[in-house]
Amino acid sequence: MNYKPDEATLVSFLYGELSGEELRQVEEYLQKNPDERKRLEEWSFTRSTLSSLADKEVIAPPIFLEGSPRTTPFWKESYFRLPLGIAASFLFMIVTAKIMGLSLRYSGNELRIGFGATESKQEVPAVTREQVGEMINQSLQQNNHVLQASWNEDRTMLQKSIQKNLASASGKIDKLVKTASSANQEQVKRFVNQMQNENLKLMKDYMQLSATGQKEYIESLLVDFSKYLQEQRKQDIQLFQAKVNSVESNTNQFKQETEQILTSLIANTGTTNQRRN
Amino acid sequence: MMHAEHLIAQAREGDTAAQGKLVQAWYKRIYNFTFKFFYDHDMAMEVSQKTFIAMHRNLGALNDTARFKSWLYTIAVNCCREELRKKKNSRAVSLHDFRPGEAEESYRWEVSAERNENPENLLRQSELADLLQTCLMQLSEEQREVVIMKEYEGLKFREIAEALQISENTVKSRMYYGLEALKHMLERKRITKETIGYEL
Repeated sequence: MNYKPDEATLVSFLYGELSGEELRQVEEYLQKNPDERKRLEEWSFTRSTLSSLADKEVIAPPIFLEGSPRTTPFWKESYFRLPLGIAASFLFMIVTAKIMGLSLRYSGNELRIGFGATESKQEVPAVTREQVGEMINQSLQQNNHVLQASWNEDRTMLQKSIQKNLASASGKIDKLVKTASSANQEQVKRFVNQMQNENLKLMKDYMQLSATGQKEYIESLLVDFSKYLQEQRKQDIQLFQAKVNSVESNTNQFKQETEQILTSLIANTGTTNQRRN
Repeated sequence: MMHAEHLIAQAREGDTAAQGKLVQAWYKRIYNFTFKFFYDHDMAMEVSQKTFIAMHRNLGALNDTARFKSWLYTIAVNCCREELRKKKNSRAVSLHDFRPGEAEESYRWEVSAERNENPENLLRQSELADLLQTCLMQLSEEQREVVIMKEYEGLKFREIAEALQISENTVKSRMYYGLEALKHMLERKRITKETIGYEL
């Protein structure tokens, strides 16, 4: 007997919705199949975990319910109201047009809408292409004439103005030349002398100023140099003194060493003589 | 049971008081069903109200008062699906979609349950409830409907099949795959007998 419950049967078993023979068969199957039993135990655990999600407390809000649902009359239904509205609009337009004496006329690509008695408009004969061309040519010729006349007038006015300006300018230049030539040589000499004197004075002032500045600079330079020399001399003397001291101490040391050596030599010679004797 | 059927019969005849009592009796169940379906309080409130308005309008068409429960859940499921369609079509993002971080979820503490309860346990339960709700939201729409109806609303498979207008075997199949999916999700989140057994 190879009974194997399907998904639906297992789920029904899990939720206790099996009974009779089927329940017995599933129980037997689970006893023989520990893997399936384990799977069902896992589902049971999942179910018990799901039960941790508790219900939320909520208060029912007031919901206002109408009495018995009303039946709407057919004229208030949308399928009736739309065509009725369109028909009413047309009727209104027709009546308004009648009252206002509306007339519509369409002739020769032209639509005319009028109210009351309409007047028939006189047809104006159209202008031919040749006439239009002639009119354009005439207009162009007239324009050319006007432009030509305007140019001629401007040119003559411009020439006149130039001549007038030249005449006035040459007069002024002649006048200036005359004034310049009227000045004599004495005035020129005096001006030149005055210029020379002023230049000389300027040069003197400049030289004096420059000499004073240079003198001050050289003085300060000499002072600085003498200070430098003094300082250098002092340092040299100190250095020299230090060297002399060093030589002196060296000499003294050398002297002492020499004395010691001589003493030891003498002492050594004395002892050798004694041994010989 | 007889009393409930009498109430439904009265409501069918247009008794507004009986209809009001029906709303009071079923509101919590429908709200919790829709809340678990959307994980959103506002949506749940809106869909619950729509469900009861639809119930009021169509109660006259209910022939068998014994099937009221599955009939009411049919309306609720249809309303849920309609809202879900609207939500999918709309590009607007609800502020509720941005789940606050753990530190910001101070409202949990504001919902004071029992003063004597251990706050640590309360927090654990709240976290577990959040996690379970997140797992439910990861199920497909069809599996979620079936799992909530079976696990939380306690409907029989026959009633679920009636409510969803599908065969009982399809309901069981959806339940099977839904449970399997939930089991794997919990395993991935390390929710096992050893880790939380003591809390249950």
